[in-house]
Amino acid sequence: MKDVTARSAALQKRFVVTMNYKFEIKYLYKEYCKALILVILVVCSFLATDAGAAVGCTLSNPAQDLKFLFPEMTTYKEEVRQFDLMKNGKELFSELKERLGSDLDPVYETFETPYTLYTIFNGEKIIGYVHGVNVPGEGGVIQIFMSVDPETGAILRMFFQRIESTVAKALKKKDFLAQFNGLTLADFYKHDYFAVVEPASTNDRIAQIKSPIPEGQASADYAAALRGVRKDLILIDIFVYNRKNEPFYRKAQDELAKRKGL
Amino acid sequence: MRMSLIKVPDSMSLFLACWFVAFTVETIYSAEAPDPFAGISAATGKVSTAADENAFSRFTHDNFTFKKEIFSQFAWSDEAPSSSNIYSRQSIGFEILKKFSTRTSTYAAFDLQMRLVRRDHFLPVVNDMEGADRDGFYTEYHNVYADFYNILNPLMSDKTRGDNAGRFNLRVGRSYVPFGINLQTDTHGTLLQLSNEENFGFERDWGAGLWGSLTPDLDYNVSYLLGSGYDMSFDGQHGLAVTRLSLAGKYLNNYGLEGGLSFMTGERLMKSTAIKHTGNKPRREDTDTVDTIREGVDGRYTHIVPGGTMSLTAELSTGQDDDDDIFGQLYQADFLNHSRKWGLASQYRRFSRDTENDLADESLFGEFTWYFRNDVGNTTLHWVKLNIEKQLEQQEGQNDVIVSVQYYRYW
Repeated sequence: MKDVTARSAALQKRFVVTMNYKFEIKYLYKEYCKALILVILVVCSFLATDAGAAVGCTLSNPAQDLKFLFPEMTTYKEEVRQFDLMKNGKELFSELKERLGSDLDPVYETFETPYTLYTIFNGEKIIGYVHGVNVPGEGGVIQIFMSVDPETGAILRMFFQRIESTVAKALKKKDFLAQFNGLTLADFYKHDYFAVVEPASTNDRIAQIKSPIPEGQASADYAAALRGVRKDLILIDIFVYNRKNEPFYRKAQDELAKRKGL
Repeated sequence: MRMSLIKVPDSMSLFLACWFVAFTVETIYSAEAPDPFAGISAATGKVSTAADENAFSRFTHDNFTFKKEIFSQFAWSDEAPSSSNIYSRQSIGFEILKKFSTRTSTYAAFDLQMRLVRRDHFLPVVNDMEGADRDGFYTEYHNVYADFYNILNPLMSDKTRGDNAGRFNLRVGRSYVPFGINLQTDTHGTLLQLSNEENFGFERDWGAGLWGSLTPDLDYNVSYLLGSGYDMSFDGQHGLAVTRLSLAGKYLNNYGLEGGLSFMTGERLMKSTAIKHTGNKPRREDTDTVDTIREGVDGRYTHIVPGGTMSLTAELSTGQDDDDDIFGQLYQADFLNHSRKWGLASQYRRFSRDTENDLADESLFGEFTWYFRNDVGNTTLHWVKLNIEKQLEQQEGQNDVIVSVQYYRYW
């Protein structure tokens, strides 16, 4: 009886040890699998080309802001756009630089910068697009957003979401911002021509914009704001309209080239 | 009669004729050249969209975010034994963010953030309180949550949907505890942390909550959390009810202001808390629960200053853990150079527990950061940091000086 009890105790102990061992093995296996999956994912991601990006220039309170811009809005949709994910992204990125007419900032305007495009609906109908950009200003970041007409691409409303500038107050004035309403990218492309050939032309709508900066104060941020509006319109033209304003850019450049040739 | 028709013009007529010729010539030469853009019209075309791609490409291109991360940190302690006073934490990780949309609305998002970490010679650095029991390799998850936007839309008419856009969103999973300013601050890769980890023992927890815009001026968050911290476990705790009211984004954009009020009540697990000592009471088991009450106020003010941008942050919280009164305070000042190439930060924090011994953890930090990349929206980050912590008071052990060097890349 004593032998039986001792044997039973030994078996029980062995069973417990075996179970503990099995449990430990199972636990280690689980941890190993978790680690392996993570390593595979990370290695794949390092090998892969950039497959995505975080959400970039976004509205800080999209629902409220979009409702303010489009009171008749029922729903909206967010879409991330970035050049490094587009088939001809490199080409488009260099075209952005060309059409902007200035170098792109290595901090604010990189190839990988993600942009968020908001499409606004009333029921099933698209009633507008909203898109924003960051541009470097004298005091820091200038974040410009605009809503555009879905048919024409004309600015419905332009505003600064964030502006780190000593002249922020002046730039945020309603009558200054209202001057951008109705402008299109074509107006900026035309301005390239008129600014050189006919500086006083009444067809140059960009030249008619009045700076809100009082005389004597630095106006670099005014120039940065204008550049930001142009950049935003170029991006919208690329992301939404398949560069529908391209004929105006080509014409302006051709005319300028002719003048240069003369 | 005939003669009168062809009579020689007088001087007045001659003057008028000359004026007319001169005016015509002037008008012709001064008129604007014909508009070269007349007749040009915009082209038409369709941008190819994700809808044109196959299912996999659509999934990974349409609102899909994939970020990689390298995190390398070494820290040196003045007090630790010389054989183990160099802490090392090396990790690689990733983050996936996928948003889901119908033709007319974005209705959900999923976020997953993971790291494979190697730790050696653990030191209680402020950004790795969870790592105390994780020597060697450890697979960590950080964010694991799903957001569902405008969840009441299916029950609403078109007009009501528009009126309530952004008001009723649901988050389920593991994410930042909605207490304090941490919800509005990305501390995933930084060395300096906010209060929650020290206050509760964790900065992220499992749970579910409603969030959105309450009014044009206020955002809200009402959540239920498990109170278990890292692990999703139920060990008899009731969990935590948390409410936060915060200023809407327009206050940040227009005035550089962020801030809010937070309230928390319920039970959390002992094992996840930062309670290192409870006076003369015996040390408690991990599965014990802690009755928790907190009220907090927080704020941040950001403004341009000569040479860059300065932000001042404060988090204050008070309440009770069981019978112990708790008071936490954190103040931080950050300066970012205009070029976004370098920054300075300093933080003071004190977390006191009203026990017989009036114990507290109190530290002062100084930090310098050199940025290789510092994207405005935190989408691409690349930096080296030097951080020094001077401990002024400790619940347990000697006051220490901990020096950390970090290399971080997120892209």
